[in-house]
Amino acid sequence: MTTTKRKLYMELENCIGCRACLAACTQCGGHEERNRNYVYDVNPLVNRQTMPLMCLHCVDPACARSCPAQAIQIHETGAVLSALVEKCIGCQNCTIACPYGIPKFDEEENLMYKCDLCIDRTKDDIPPMCASVCPSHTLQWLSEDEINQKKQKHELDNDKWVTSLPHLEGDTHVTVNLPGILQGTTKLF
Amino acid sequence: MQRDKFFREEKNVKHPNEELVKTHCSYCGMQCGMNLRVNKLTNKIIGVEPRYDWPVTHGKMCPKGVTAYQQTNHDDRLLKPLIRDDASLKGTKEGFREASWEEAYDLIAEKFGELQEKYGKDSLSVFSGVSMTNEKCYLTGKFARVAMGTRYIDYNGRFCMSSAAGGFLRSFGVDRGSTLPWTDVHETDCLFIAGSNTAECHPTSMFRVWAVQDRGGYLIVADPRETPVARRADVHLDLRPGTDLALANGILNLLIQNGYADESFINQHTNGFEETKELVKDFTPEYTSMITGVAIEKIEKAAEIYGKAPNAIVMFARGIEQQHKGVDNVSAYTNMALITGKIGRPKAGVATFTGQGNGQGGREHGQKSDLLPGYQKITNPEAVERVSKVWGIEPEEMPKPGVSAYEMFELMDNKTIRGLYLLCSNPAVSAPNLNFVRGAMKKLDFMVCGDFFLSESAEYADVILPSVSWSEDEGTTTNLEGRIIKINKAQEPIGESKPDWQMQVELAERLGKGKHFSHLKTAKDVAEEFRLASKGGVADYYGATWDKIDEQDGVFWPCKDKEDKGTPHMFLDKKFYHPDGRAKICALPYRPAAEEPCEKYPLRLTTGRVVYHYLSGNQTRRIQFLNDMCPEPYVEVHPITAEKYGIKHDEKILLFTRRGKCNYKVKITEAIREDTVFVPYHFGGDDSINLLTIAALDPMSKMPEFKACAAQIEKLKSGKVL
Repeated sequence: MTTTKRKLYMELENCIGCRACLAACTQCGGHEERNRNYVYDVNPLVNRQTMPLMCLHCVDPACARSCPAQAIQIHETGAVLSALVEKCIGCQNCTIACPYGIPKFDEEENLMYKCDLCIDRTKDDIPPMCASVCPSHTLQWLSEDEINQKKQKHELDNDKWVTSLPHLEGDTHVTVNLPGILQGTTKLF
Repeated sequence: MQRDKFFREEKNVKHPNEELVKTHCSYCGMQCGMNLRVNKLTNKIIGVEPRYDWPVTHGKMCPKGVTAYQQTNHDDRLLKPLIRDDASLKGTKEGFREASWEEAYDLIAEKFGELQEKYGKDSLSVFSGVSMTNEKCYLTGKFARVAMGTRYIDYNGRFCMSSAAGGFLRSFGVDRGSTLPWTDVHETDCLFIAGSNTAECHPTSMFRVWAVQDRGGYLIVADPRETPVARRADVHLDLRPGTDLALANGILNLLIQNGYADESFINQHTNGFEETKELVKDFTPEYTSMITGVAIEKIEKAAEIYGKAPNAIVMFARGIEQQHKGVDNVSAYTNMALITGKIGRPKAGVATFTGQGNGQGGREHGQKSDLLPGYQKITNPEAVERVSKVWGIEPEEMPKPGVSAYEMFELMDNKTIRGLYLLCSNPAVSAPNLNFVRGAMKKLDFMVCGDFFLSESAEYADVILPSVSWSEDEGTTTNLEGRIIKINKAQEPIGESKPDWQMQVELAERLGKGKHFSHLKTAKDVAEEFRLASKGGVADYYGATWDKIDEQDGVFWPCKDKEDKGTPHMFLDKKFYHPDGRAKICALPYRPAAEEPCEKYPLRLTTGRVVYHYLSGNQTRRIQFLNDMCPEPYVEVHPITAEKYGIKHDEKILLFTRRGKCNYKVKITEAIREDTVFVPYHFGGDDSINLLTIAALDPMSKMPEFKACAAQIEKLKSGKVL
C-alpha cells in the first residue's frame, strides 16, 4: 500500500469507449445507481475516438462558488462533493456554472448530483470505481511519484515537438463567468 | 502469486452486513476476477467490488463485467420447469405452463424413450455450450454418451473457437489458446493482432496492449474496420474480409526474403519450411496487396516491424477464425512465429482471444463430437478404454463420433435427429443461415432446453428446465491463457432452479443410468471424477485440484500430478506435441471467401460484437445499462458507399443476401472499408444478422464463415431518418 496520497490521472488517448467507468460509477455505494461521469464520441461519423468527461475536482470549483446555499463541500482530500441533501435548494446554479457540464439535476428529488470521487473509497485511498475498472488505463489512481514519472516522459530535450508542455493540464485562456450575468442589470421598464 | 508492474495492493470497501465472494466474470474468455457483494441478512447478491489482487486483470472490468451480477436475481429468471403441450406454438414464447421437476423429468424420459425405441439410439442429440464450468461441460459429454447413449453431441464452440483449435493442433500438436500467460503481453516488443476487436471484445487486455506502445514497442492490427484498437496501431492492415490467408502468406514471404527466418530454429524444431517458402514466393507485396486491398507500404512496414522485433506475440480472434478457411488462417499467422523462432520463450509466442468464458476448457473435455475428456480422441481405442473405465461402461458401449454443430441442424432437417437436449447455447440467434436452422429446430419431435432465461432457442422447446446462473454454483473454468480458475458460489439458486450437472444426474436416474451418475452429489464430486477422466490426455487436468487453484491463483494446463505446478509457458524446451517433437510450418494455398461479391451482391458483409453485449445477447440484452447503451443492431457503412445508395445516418434500409434479409438503421462511419458493411450479431427475431450469413463450413473445424459473405443494400421508401 502506497502511503502517498493518490490522485485521479487521465490519459485520454487510451480511451476505447467501453463506458465501463459509467457502469462502475453506478456501483459506488453513494451514487444511487446513477452514473456521474460521461463518455463522448469525439467525431462519431469519422472514427471511433472517445473520451471520458470526468469531474476535474477544481481547486477553486465554480460549482461550489456559485452555490448560494453552501451545499457543495470540498473534502479534505480535495474532492468536490455532491450537494448535501439537506442544504441543496435546487437552484441549479452549479449546473450552469461548471464549464465542463458535470453537475446534473434530479428533477424528482429537486437535488443536484455530481461525482464525489467515490469519497467513501478515496477517503481511505481506495481507488474510485471508475479508475478501478477502467480496462484501458485511461483512468488511473496514481501517487505523486507516479504522476511525476509520467511527467518526465514529456520532458524530452531532443528538439522533437512535444505536445503537452507544461504537462498534462494547465490554466486556460478562457474566462468563464459564474451564473448571474443579469444580476447588475436594471430592467428598462 | 504472480505480480507484474501493474499490481498494487489495495483494500476493498466492505459495507455493513456484507460479504465479498471472490469469483470471476460470467462472460468472455478474459474471466476477469471480481468480488460479488452479498448481503448477509438476505443472502442475496447485491453488487460488485473490484478484485484488485487477481493477477490477470487487477480489478478491471468492462461494462458487461460490472453489471454481470444483475443476472442473478433478474426478474426474467426462470424459476420453475415449463412444459408446452401445444407443439404448434413452437418458435413463440406462448403456451408454456409451470410444472414440477417430477412431471418434467417424467415427460422427458418418456419422450426420449419413445424416440429411441422407434428410431434408434442416435435419434437424440445434445447441443451444448462453453459458457459454463469444466465440470458441467465434462458431465454433459458423459450424459450424452452414457445416459442418452447417442453419438450426436456437439457444441457452440464450433461457432467460436474450433478453427483456433484446429490450427493449433496442426501447427503445434496441441491446442492451448495461448502459448504464454497474459502477464507477458505488455512486456513484448511487438503485438501483431489479426481479426480481433480487442478493445470491445476483450477490453481488459487493453491496458497491456497500450503498455507495449508506452515502452516504445509496436502495435500492428489487421482488421477491415478501424476498431478502437486499430485506431492507435502503428500499422493498420485494413484488409478485405476473408483475405487473411493472402495477407499472412505475403508477410511470411517478406520475412523470408528480408532475412528474418531463423534457420537454426527452423532446422531443429520444425517441419515444412521448404514447401512453405516455395508456396509463399507468389505472394509478392503487389500480389498480396491486390488480393487484400491493403497498401503495399503497409504490408512491408508490418513485416519489417515484426521481423525486427526481439520479441513479438501474434494474436488473433474470430475475425480470422470464423471463415471457411479459418484453420488455414490460424496456421498461416502461426507460421510467422515459427519461421522467425519467436515462440517457446517468455514474451514471444502465439495466442487466440478465446471468445466464451470457458471456450478453452469447454472444448477440451468431451462436448465436441469426436472428443473425450482431456482432449482424447473418441476414435483412439486406448482413450476409449481409459474413459470407459472411469465412467463404468464397457468400451463397446462408447458411441462413435457424431457430427459438428451446424451439421446437426441438417440432420434435424432430414429427421435423422428427432430429439434435442439444448443447454447453455442460443443457436436460434448464433447459428448461421438462421432461416434454415430455425426451420430445423421446428421440425424436432421433442426438444428440451436448459437455460436461466427464456432464450430465442427455448421458444422451440417442449420442456424448459430452469438452470442456475454462474453465481449460484461452483466449479472451474479455463481462461484464455489456459489457466484453470475457480468460480465460486455466492448465492443459493433462486426459485426451483438447479445446476445443469444436477439435472443431468437426476435425469440419468430416470433414464435407468443412475449407477453411472448417482454418486455425483456435489460439483466437487464431478470435479474429482473429471480430473481423473482427463488423466493421460493432452489436456491433462489431473493435478489441477481446487486447493492448488486457490493457492496459485490458477493452474495452467497441462498439470499432470500433485507436484506439478502447471505450465504457464508452453514449449520452453522447444518440444512441440507432434510425435517427432517438431512444430509444423504449413504451406497453405490461398482460397477466396466462399461467396465473393458480384454484381447482384456487391458488398462484403462481416459481423461481430459490440462491447455492451455477449454472444446471442440472451443475457446482456436484459441488463438495463447494457441495453440502454446498445438497444438495437445497426449496419456500419462508409460515407462514400452511403452516398452511392443515397442513404443517410440513422435511415432504415434493407440489407439482404442470398439467404435472408433484415431492416437495419444505418450508422455512417469512415472507420470501415468502402466495400464492407458490418452488423453486430447479438440480436434475436427479425433483427438477427445470422438470417443473412452463410453456412460455408471450414473443412477441418466445421466453423461457418460468419465473417464474409456477399450482400446488397436497398433504400426503403419508408426508411425516413428517425
